[in-house]
Amino acid sequence: MSDRELEGEAGYWAQKIGELKQRRDAAAEMGGPENIKRQHEAGRLTVRERIAAVTDADSFREVGTLAGTGEYDENHQLKAVTPATYVAGTARINGRPVAIGGEDFTVRGGTTFGAQRRKGGQGGYIEDLAHHYKMPLVNLIDGAGGSVMSAKRRGYVVFPGVDGFERSVELLGEVPVASAVLGTAAGGPAGRAILSHFSVMVEGTSQIFAAGPPVVKRSLGQDISKEDLGGPKIAVNKGGSIHNTAASEEDAFEQIKRFLSFMPQNVWELPPVVASDDPIDRCEEELLSIVPEKRTQPYDMKKLVGMVIDEGSGFEIRPTYGKAVITMLARLGGRPVGIIANNPKIYGGAMDADTARKQIHFMELCDTFHIPLVFFVDVPGFMVGLKAESEGTLREGMRAVYMAGQLKVPTLTLVIRKCYGMAGMATCNKSDIDLKLAWPSGEWGSLPVEGGVAAAFRRDIAAADDPKAREKELEAELQVYSSPFRTAEALAVEEIIDPRETRPMLCEYIALAENRLKIGLGPRAKAGVAP
Amino acid sequence: MATIEVLSEVIGSVWKIEKSEGDTVAEGEQIMILESMKMEIPVEAPSAGTLVEIKVVPEESVDEDQVLCLIEN
Repeated sequence: MSDRELEGEAGYWAQKIGELKQRRDAAAEMGGPENIKRQHEAGRLTVRERIAAVTDADSFREVGTLAGTGEYDENHQLKAVTPATYVAGTARINGRPVAIGGEDFTVRGGTTFGAQRRKGGQGGYIEDLAHHYKMPLVNLIDGAGGSVMSAKRRGYVVFPGVDGFERSVELLGEVPVASAVLGTAAGGPAGRAILSHFSVMVEGTSQIFAAGPPVVKRSLGQDISKEDLGGPKIAVNKGGSIHNTAASEEDAFEQIKRFLSFMPQNVWELPPVVASDDPIDRCEEELLSIVPEKRTQPYDMKKLVGMVIDEGSGFEIRPTYGKAVITMLARLGGRPVGIIANNPKIYGGAMDADTARKQIHFMELCDTFHIPLVFFVDVPGFMVGLKAESEGTLREGMRAVYMAGQLKVPTLTLVIRKCYGMAGMATCNKSDIDLKLAWPSGEWGSLPVEGGVAAAFRRDIAAADDPKAREKELEAELQVYSSPFRTAEALAVEEIIDPRETRPMLCEYIALAENRLKIGLGPRAKAGVAP
Repeated sequence: MATIEVLSEVIGSVWKIEKSEGDTVAEGEQIMILESMKMEIPVEAPSAGTLVEIKVVPEESVDEDQVLCLIEN
């Protein structure tokens, strides 16, 4: 090759690589210094800072970097590029691969970017990546979806679902999906956040709703701020649309990392087991005194659970919603488990509609990802009263029973105190070995003796000289039969344990469950119509 | 100085009030006991401070999210 030809080739490559660099630099600059400054002033990180904060150092490999809108001079030479409103790629979190992406609010407020192929959001490339390579998806949501401006650009309006949620839905049965809401989310991005196994939003800087204040004002004439409409008080605590609240963006990223640490990469793999330095034979003396003798006095169930699981391993999902039940990912002997524990401090642990919804989601989550369930049971039944009936507690509660009937994952039931009625049935998995353990404080039945006596012996009580005394007498008579030891005689509860033996017993069974888990891998079959 | 509203987490009735207006309370300290679903539901101070006002009386029915008392800190 002549020198002249070599020079020509080098020139060709220098030009090509130069243009690649120019385009990559434009992507890295996002919406420019002014918009980045504004994003920071609003207390928010840029999408690139977010990706760096949630993933392992230098592990992010971007894809679709050059997507954007180019500006050219009259000779068709590139002048500038406005990057697409979404940044996406692969990365690692605690050494494990993930697909990750998020809207870039500094470019056109993160509104949907129309190109031949979407980068992120529903139907985006990032979802295909998670689907085909069977790895978790992390969504960093900061956008309000479509813009009416796009109709002008296209010359027509699109039919809903042109970029549909089919892939988002499919992913829910395949790989863990975790979403952080990091700004004001409405429309598509809001919907995308909901189609997640775990979602978190940031106190003070994020809101989520189907539609924001201007639409509410126009539709209903109501004046309401975006925080009052879709801040965590509504979206997390009341509505339960989002699972957890974070104090900062960093906290939200930590929560996502924590959630993923319990999850397998996909439904075809076992959840990750880690080495635990907490001895499995640790027997806590304090467990012996935590449940008060007086049956009307509640106790601290979170503390109780905390003494049993691997020290510090608990990660509570939805701590501020449906608080009569506690749902928590944790570890026993280093193995991931899902804990469902009734909370006697809220309505004595009775199951209301929100509580049932929370329990159903958590059971489905653990069943899908082959994470064994452990129930810490203290449930007096479904919640009663007008409010509970108006909220459809009976239907939601029976959906929990239905869901328990569909469980395929190994499940342990440990009765701490009460286990009554249909809500009690939602704590057992009959398709598993149906092992029911109980503390000596356990009591169970169709319904508690107190309420039952008043209903079943109404005439007898009314006819007595002292009805109150007669009711007490009948209660005492029947209470004798409610000793858990009598049920154990009939092997209707498989084992009664000393509370101090709880951790060794549970760790043992969770370790034994591993063979069962191995043969049950794969997607969860759907059956029937939920009530 | 901030005023914190202590809300009822349950529908029920006031059973026993264990503190008085003007008392200082520590975080997590029990202020009163409600009765709901035949259980004694403790109402604990969400943060330390002075109990400036008690808005309910024994046997009064309370609703979810009803303000039971005010703490200043």
